[in-house]
Amino acid sequence: MSDQMTATTPKKPRVIVGFVCERSIPIQEMIDAQRALTDDPETKIIILPCSGMVKPTQMELALANGADATFVCGCAINDCHYRTGNLMIRERLEGTRNPKLRKNTDKRKVGMFFFTMKDKRPFLDALAEFKATTENL
Amino acid sequence: MYKKFLQLTKNLTVSLEKGLNFLTTQENNPLYFHGALPLYTFWFLIFSGIMLWMYYIPTLDRAWTSVNYITSLPVLLKDASGHLLLKNGNAVVVAVSPETGIPYGAVVRGIHRWGAAAMMITTVLHMLRVYFTDRHRAWRWLPWVSGVLLLIFVLFVGVTGYLLVWDARAYALTVWTQKWLEAVPLIGASLSTFFIGGEAIRDFTLTRFFFFHIGGATFIFWLIWMHFIRLHEPVVTPSRAVNFLTLGFILVAAGVYPAVNVTQELIARYPVLAVDQNYIASDAPAQIGYLVQTIRYDAWYLFPYYLIEKVGVNWAWFILGGATLLLFVAPFYPKDRRDNIAEVIDAKCTGCTFCSLDCPFEAITMQERAPGSKFKLIAVVQAARCSECGVCVGACPFQAIELPQNLSKSIDADVLALLKSGA
Repeated sequence: MSDQMTATTPKKPRVIVGFVCERSIPIQEMIDAQRALTDDPETKIIILPCSGMVKPTQMELALANGADATFVCGCAINDCHYRTGNLMIRERLEGTRNPKLRKNTDKRKVGMFFFTMKDKRPFLDALAEFKATTENL
Repeated sequence: MYKKFLQLTKNLTVSLEKGLNFLTTQENNPLYFHGALPLYTFWFLIFSGIMLWMYYIPTLDRAWTSVNYITSLPVLLKDASGHLLLKNGNAVVVAVSPETGIPYGAVVRGIHRWGAAAMMITTVLHMLRVYFTDRHRAWRWLPWVSGVLLLIFVLFVGVTGYLLVWDARAYALTVWTQKWLEAVPLIGASLSTFFIGGEAIRDFTLTRFFFFHIGGATFIFWLIWMHFIRLHEPVVTPSRAVNFLTLGFILVAAGVYPAVNVTQELIARYPVLAVDQNYIASDAPAQIGYLVQTIRYDAWYLFPYYLIEKVGVNWAWFILGGATLLLFVAPFYPKDRRDNIAEVIDAKCTGCTFCSLDCPFEAITMQERAPGSKFKLIAVVQAARCSECGVCVGACPFQAIELPQNLSKSIDADVLALLKSGA
């Protein structure tokens, strides 16, 4: 019975909001006009000059308004174009630097990736893995 | 065109580093510590240099012999075919008695020698990496210009190190440097006199070279401070794994090829010294008036002299001077449009200092507000230093600092719009 339900009930599309540094993965060539990833239309992208510009409150805003998960993607660790932006956001999301995520934010739904401009495929693989871990939350 | 060239070099650099990431991980990729590695190797030079200083005598008749005393015997021995001499599977280690030399002095000098090579190699790699990834322009001009000065002084200190051993090569380098300096219009003769510490080469010459070497190394520390002054939390040491890797390279190089003065007595005892150029750190003692026709060139420090020998002093000045000038002006061209410099919203700034503490380029200072204000401090952006990265925006809990092209309220609206379109 439940198998039939699964087969007949259309799965509700998920929405993932990603904050991506314009100098990490080649994001401009990975999105469509609606700013969704062409390889994964469920993922919507906000492009910023540096991952260090992301405010934890903006990620909380996304979660509070219906995003199933949210993530930030910056340059490779130790290789931020602006020196420390990726380290700053990592520490903010890990809770070791202000401003931090609120205590009641479900941190399982907050992801962070750090890749170079040549890492399109590794990023997509990591994103797929992140989405899988957040699917049943 | 030039920007496309920089884009191409960046693509190639990132591809190379990505390949290395597979082996080392991002956290331990030595190429990500390109700036910290020269400083790390500099410490080897400082400590080994202090040890050598304890026995070095800077006079014409004692300089070569004092260096020879320090390094009279190699420690790890090789046979004529270049293989390590082994006894029961272990390398043969020779301890030297204090009467004939300093125990392991050749290894300490080897650390100084190979460390110097490592410092120049890592310094050049650092410069190329920064240039290839377009991280030398605009607000980064001060680290770049001070970096060019550092490169010049690393070269200067390295070359004066070659003079201190006062062998036949050192004498040739001294004479060639004098000719090179004398080619400078008007002040050439004075520069040459200043260089050798008088009208002729005498004991003061070696004292002067010693001052150049130690004084130059000290000045490098001041330049490093200038290099770092606009960088927040500069990376001054590589990761632990990269540290050990570098340490291993220098120690193994110094152990396998310790630096020695190659004398006939040593060749008689160890024939390998006659055929293996890597052992030769010094030639025969210098003789005033006897100038060798050519010298052994060290690619890392003696390339200016190679130029002098091949093209003459005037062309050497032209080539080296032109290259230096290009390096100095590199950060000022091409100029980018600067329309996204961070702006502080006075009414919202509480003076919490978060933005100032997090700014990667020390572009934000905290200043006192007028007496009677609600808050004591206010953040002030120094526009010329701002990289337009927005890290300060991410640091501010009060939306009191913004990039004009990426306002926080616009980003919030974008988030909501994307959620609406995706739901």
